[in-house]
Amino acid sequence: MKKGKWKFLSLLIVLGLLLSACSSGTSGKKSEGQEGQGSEPELVDPSSFPKTVVNEETEIDGGSLTYALVSDTAFEGILDYAFYESSPDAEVISFFAEPIFAYDANYQITNDGESAAKFEMSEDGKTMTVTIQDGVTWHDGEPLKAEDYAFSFEIIGHPDYTGVRYGDALISGIVGMEDYHNGKADTISGIKILNDKQLTITWEEANPSLLSGIWSYAEPKHHFEGIEIGDLASSDKIHTDLLGFGPFKVTNIVPGESVEYEAYENYYGGAPKLDSVVLKVVSPTTIGEAIKKGDVDIASFPTDQYDKDYVPTNFQYLADMDAAYTYIGFKLGHWDAEAGVAVQDKDTPLQDVKLRQAIGYAMDNKSVAERFYQGLRVPATTLMIPFFADFHNPDIEGYSYNTEKANQLLDEAGYKDVDGDGYREDLEGNEMVFNFASMSGGETAEPLANFYIQNWKDVGIHVQLLEGRLHEMNSFYDRVEGDDEAVDIYQGAWGTGTDPDPYGLWSKLAPYNYPRFVNDKNEELLAAGHSEDAFDQEFRKDIYDQWQQLMVDEAPVIPTLYRYYLMAVNNRVKNYSIEAGSELGWEDVAVTAEKAFVEE
Amino acid sequence: MLKFIIRRFLVMIPQLALLSILIFLLAKAMPGDALTGSMQANPNLDPKVFEELREKLGLNDPWYEQYGRWIGNLFQGELGMSYIHKVDIADLLGDRMANTFWLGLVTLIFTYLIAVPLGVVAGRWNESWADKLIVGYNYVSFAIPLFVFALIMLFIFGFGLHWFPIGGSVDVTVEKGTFAYFLSRIHHLLLPAITAALLSTVGTIQYLRNEIIDTKLKDFVKTARAKGTPEKKVYSRHIFRNSLLPVAAFLGYDIVFIIGGSVFIEQIFSYPGLGQLFISSINQRDFSVVNILVMLFGFLSILGTLISDIILSIVDPRIRID
Amino acid sequence: MSTPIVEKNNISLQQQKTPSGFSVIVREFAKDKLALFSLVLFLGIVLYVYIYSFMLDQEAITRVDLFNIFAEPSSVYWLGTDYGGRDVFGQLIIGARNSLTIGIVITVLTAIIGLVLGLLAGYFGGWVDNVIMRTVDFILVLPTTMIIIVFVVIVPEFNVANFIFIMSIFYWTGKARLIRSKTLAERELDYVSASKTLGTPNWKIMLFQVLPNLSSIIIVNMTLNLAGNIGIETGLTYLGFGLPESTPSLGTLISYSSNPDVMENKWWVWLPAALLILVMMLCINFIGQALKRAADARQRLG
Repeated sequence: MKKGKWKFLSLLIVLGLLLSACSSGTSGKKSEGQEGQGSEPELVDPSSFPKTVVNEETEIDGGSLTYALVSDTAFEGILDYAFYESSPDAEVISFFAEPIFAYDANYQITNDGESAAKFEMSEDGKTMTVTIQDGVTWHDGEPLKAEDYAFSFEIIGHPDYTGVRYGDALISGIVGMEDYHNGKADTISGIKILNDKQLTITWEEANPSLLSGIWSYAEPKHHFEGIEIGDLASSDKIHTDLLGFGPFKVTNIVPGESVEYEAYENYYGGAPKLDSVVLKVVSPTTIGEAIKKGDVDIASFPTDQYDKDYVPTNFQYLADMDAAYTYIGFKLGHWDAEAGVAVQDKDTPLQDVKLRQAIGYAMDNKSVAERFYQGLRVPATTLMIPFFADFHNPDIEGYSYNTEKANQLLDEAGYKDVDGDGYREDLEGNEMVFNFASMSGGETAEPLANFYIQNWKDVGIHVQLLEGRLHEMNSFYDRVEGDDEAVDIYQGAWGTGTDPDPYGLWSKLAPYNYPRFVNDKNEELLAAGHSEDAFDQEFRKDIYDQWQQLMVDEAPVIPTLYRYYLMAVNNRVKNYSIEAGSELGWEDVAVTAEKAFVEE
Repeated sequence: MLKFIIRRFLVMIPQLALLSILIFLLAKAMPGDALTGSMQANPNLDPKVFEELREKLGLNDPWYEQYGRWIGNLFQGELGMSYIHKVDIADLLGDRMANTFWLGLVTLIFTYLIAVPLGVVAGRWNESWADKLIVGYNYVSFAIPLFVFALIMLFIFGFGLHWFPIGGSVDVTVEKGTFAYFLSRIHHLLLPAITAALLSTVGTIQYLRNEIIDTKLKDFVKTARAKGTPEKKVYSRHIFRNSLLPVAAFLGYDIVFIIGGSVFIEQIFSYPGLGQLFISSINQRDFSVVNILVMLFGFLSILGTLISDIILSIVDPRIRID
Repeated sequence: MSTPIVEKNNISLQQQKTPSGFSVIVREFAKDKLALFSLVLFLGIVLYVYIYSFMLDQEAITRVDLFNIFAEPSSVYWLGTDYGGRDVFGQLIIGARNSLTIGIVITVLTAIIGLVLGLLAGYFGGWVDNVIMRTVDFILVLPTTMIIIVFVVIVPEFNVANFIFIMSIFYWTGKARLIRSKTLAERELDYVSASKTLGTPNWKIMLFQVLPNLSSIIIVNMTLNLAGNIGIETGLTYLGFGLPESTPSLGTLISYSSNPDVMENKWWVWLPAALLILVMMLCINFIGQALKRAADARQRLG
């Protein structure tokens, strides 16, 4: 892929996935006129949606396009890759700034295709030489230089830096970065500027995630001149007075609500086809109408408002898989902050793997996906999402709905309903009730949680909502992260970003291992997965196959759903694509009519 | 008179001080802090980084130290930084304050434009069909939930008829400072303002109506009538003047009321004002902004009641004894 | 929403005499057919809701049924189902019960607090009056909506009881002010000073002489507040700061309309709740108006 809408995903993380899950409307519910009781729903096959807009008309010269930023709050307006924290901001940035490398379909940087810079790896995989291409200029006409790229590392590593990007292994692992970060050195010894256009970066260790995880954004050093790095975050230069080298430049900005962009004629990839783009914030409540009325041309469409019976006449849907999954987790231990390690020591029946497995088999995720989400979500099988096509193992079945098996497992393990209240007691015959924590937000949240509770009740496992209600995001994570004794089972979600390495989520050394699951085999496989051997794709695939199976067998968490996201695009738009590795970027996007089409 | 006003001003000081402590403590008691959200979104990062950041931002100090720092800065005119937006709160409030101010002003104007004539008509011809209609409207506007009404208005006039834009405060493509810019702003705030105004008229209409009906039966009116003053003159000279004056006194209370309603209206119409900022700040745990906003709204409320009290004390001196 | 009304009534009622008595009220209702109809309808709704909701199985109603999502109204589901396949009619009944309970309890609680403090302040005056009225002044100037939202976020376990508690903290002040000003006026009247010279204890004067004279005003004020209190719950729920879904309320049902698809095409989910609120509010208001007229000799119809 060259540049374009995907590039903010190539950042370490899919930001805001969890945030958006708590803003109303984005995480969805199905809205369907159900005909008869119990009838098979007509399913949408999300993979049948195109990823590139279909438009055979001839494009008009220039033209302007309206892009909707779908959000129920104003965008925050931290418009710089090193500082932004929310995905709406990232969308705003993506028009005027872009990574210096091109990405391929596997979200790895590549030298194929047009890009602002090319790279070369050393034999030992520890040093990268980056060469800025000729003709790449910032919007003020200054050429892009090697020092601009180096500068972005200097910002992030700086002791006074107030953003959240430092700490990623591919940034802190650069030779000399630690000293620079602690103020012991004025420069990063591992980054050497060879000349105006070339530099080398050396890491302490080779890392197979390098190609997908490397920090690939340059910062305009001359633009920031005279500003202390500690003051940068609050400076005009990243809020309103913006500078990038992307296909569009910012001409006007109404903070928090809209941005006007104009084509940057000297863009190194050729002048953009559109004259201008207007981006405006539209609330999820009204986006459906806005799209139908042609008020906006391109918008991410809330899946909970998708209606499969509605056939759009003036726009089309694009869909692709999201780099995220939802899961059910079991709290098994606590986090030892001193030692920085998870300890699996909680006194709970859930330590019994058979009980966990039974809970997994009891959940009817197929119905959830089909009925709640009209097929826009699909039952999950393993913790390696299909988004990582190279590593996801489709042969592992995971936990599909099977009450018989769940009952059998429970009977075998000795959980019997002693007092005849419909719920099984624990092995000593005492009542067994689990507290289930789930996040509020998104309309399906509540019925979904209750549906799972009903599922579990069907096999005799007594689960109740923690404190009888859903928890708002902040308090939810306070409790789950803080290993609150009261939480036994929780429903969480992770945005995986574009780096397949699951180490940061599930190793015992990872604070984000919320179940506090500790297992030697798990550690061994996770370590192998990003060792030097893992540069060999076959080896890495094999390791991750084993790991996926292990996590299914051990069931410290049960992945529940993979998700698709939808874009709605007006029929006059041409050359717009959400496909990973697509050659099409914002500079290629064109329109084939003066005005957006309106619903007939 | 002056003494009363000075006394009212002095009362404001402990009120504001108390308000500030209350708000600060409430904000501190909220679960999560400004960094919780970004931690969840950045699983690849070491939580130690966030510990460092908390230390840097002073989030780990005891509350009274944080409060002292905050109030000290406030006195120097420094509102502090937004953790989420990373800008000075003063900058953040700037545009939005203007948005909310204009929305409030226009709402107020519409409220009186609708309420005063209706109240007068209902009062003068009470028990007529017009009165019944107006009283009916009053009941309905009091009973209908604000957001249901707002959503219906948005669907009809925003989407259906396309008369008004569906969000924002101004069209980004219009150049600042031009007449078109001004028009665009008006255009954007018209629908929310009318919607809010239609539901804010209850108090004024009801009051005016009651007052006029009351005054009608008062002795001086009877005397005027007995003297043969034409009915029209009785109303314009005697009744309206007496009934309308107190309405002016409610200006302050109306301001307070409209401020409270802005939280709902701005959220529904995606109108980027202070109310919308409040909701998003609370959801993002941007305490510094929440604190300032509640302070500001509290201050405006105090100011609103102050205005009302002063006008009232002019109109009706009995109140001054209070 | 009720605040401005209370404020304004406060003043208009200030100089009124308060002849009261049950017979006056009965006469007033007999004259005003609309008020009578409202009273009957409202009592009917309340009785129906409270009695019927006890016969309903709440667990069955809140059971998620994936095979009946957004079913249209039918003989099985009188008002169709919501996005969790749950019966809307059952939720409407239980929701109405919860919303009514909330509204009534808040009204009664705030009335009691306002009455006690208002009586004390008005009757004794002096420092008692000062302390109480400064507190009232302070609470009155708080940006109530915002502070309530902050409270809701803080409270760990958010249920009906907590909700009522939070609301009650803020909504007693108007009443206290009203009662105080009326008591002030009553205190100056001859019957009080007469009792005092006779050596009747203060509490007796307050309870048996002053209070009955205030009763009609209290009732008028309470009916109007009841309507307002039901409305507040709805608004907060819409913003996402209301009761959890496991506690159905009219606000929960109406707030589903924030999804445009529901608003346009699934009317059965939110419209009945909205109409029910509208009808109840109208009833309460008509009843309140009649009571008010009964309390105010000059406006009486009969």
